Amino acid sequence: MDFSIRAANVDDCKDIARMIMELAEYEKVSDHVKVTQKGASCSSSDSRLSPGTSDADLEQDGFSKNPFFHGIIAEVPEQHKTKEGHTKIGYALYFYAYSSWSGRAIYMEDLYVMPEFRGKGVGKALMSKVAQLGLAAGCHQLNFAVLDWNKPSMDFYLSQGCFDITDTMGYHCLRCEGEALKHLAQL
Amino acid sequence: MCKFFQMIQKSHNRSHLTGVTEAIPRNQELAEYEKVSDHVKVTQKDLEQDGFSKNPFFHGIIAEVPEQHKTKEGHTKIGYALYFYAYSSWSGRAIYMEDLYVMPEFRGKGVGKALMSKVAQLGLAAGCHQLNFAVLDWNKPSMDFYLSQGCFDITDTMGYHCLRCEGEALKHLAQL
Repeated sequence: MDFSIRAANVDDCKDIARMIMELAEYEKVSDHVKVTQKGASCSSSDSRLSPGTSDADLEQDGFSKNPFFHGIIAEVPEQHKTKEGHTKIGYALYFYAYSSWSGRAIYMEDLYVMPEFRGKGVGKALMSKVAQLGLAAGCHQLNFAVLDWNKPSMDFYLSQGCFDITDTMGYHCLRCEGEALKHLAQL
Repeated sequence: MCKFFQMIQKSHNRSHLTGVTEAIPRNQELAEYEKVSDHVKVTQKDLEQDGFSKNPFFHGIIAEVPEQHKTKEGHTKIGYALYFYAYSSWSGRAIYMEDLYVMPEFRGKGVGKALMSKVAQLGLAAGCHQLNFAVLDWNKPSMDFYLSQGCFDITDTMGYHCLRCEGEALKHLAQL
């Protein structure tokens, strides 16, 4: 199947927002999604999503002077578009990170391919692009997270030579947010 | 909060570079605490370039004590935190705390809490909704501290596993 991988631009935000929601549904966390394209909430047939929960702004956060993330898009030619008319069928979001042990790192926040386009090398190509960009920027690690029940993804990543530092080294991810974060900031 | 220390927030001003050179032994001390000393590859020069150039990969904050409380070796910089800005595709801007360290003789006095609080403040000021970081599961003192500050373990509660690709595997992945 013919597809292309390219850097995301501000006009891709609508499709990125759509696919973020699709990924969240796959991860069973759609009601946690607050990010929107810009201002208005994503439309969805899922009644659990409440409109106007927008807090974040993909256009501002990804495509302004000091972006919080970068994106890459996987596209298919017109003749392979989906029933709904989408040609943008996969994406990856990443940002630069740091390890105080080994230096520059790249963090892959999302990797997603629409179900009907899986198994054709699109995910591997997106991830490979993130790896290339990381190496070009002098990074020594590509880091990311996977949910432990997500066996297809886990198997894919392990087959690409990744290893699970939660299992092997006991790394636990912790988070502070909401009222606890505000309280922590006021100490 | 104890009054006998002060925090200096790192800026991109080169005059703060002297703080970086002293951060290296702290970095190695933390690595020894975490039992991974042979994994530390970052040098002083790396820290200077990666943290204090035009597009830094990280930012740092330092905890300092006055001269009269310096250590036997003469150190007044007795704790640090390294952080960088991150992103959650669900909730937007986030701040990631890569390191939080206080020298053993200065623990239990509120220094760690103050450093972490500063990271939280900086995150909120930048519009972040989450402060994320990692803890090794055997590190009970740290885990207890963080949970007492209202943090929660997303590995335990949501099944998040951290994965990594590096070395030859990373080069191979890039060549696909």
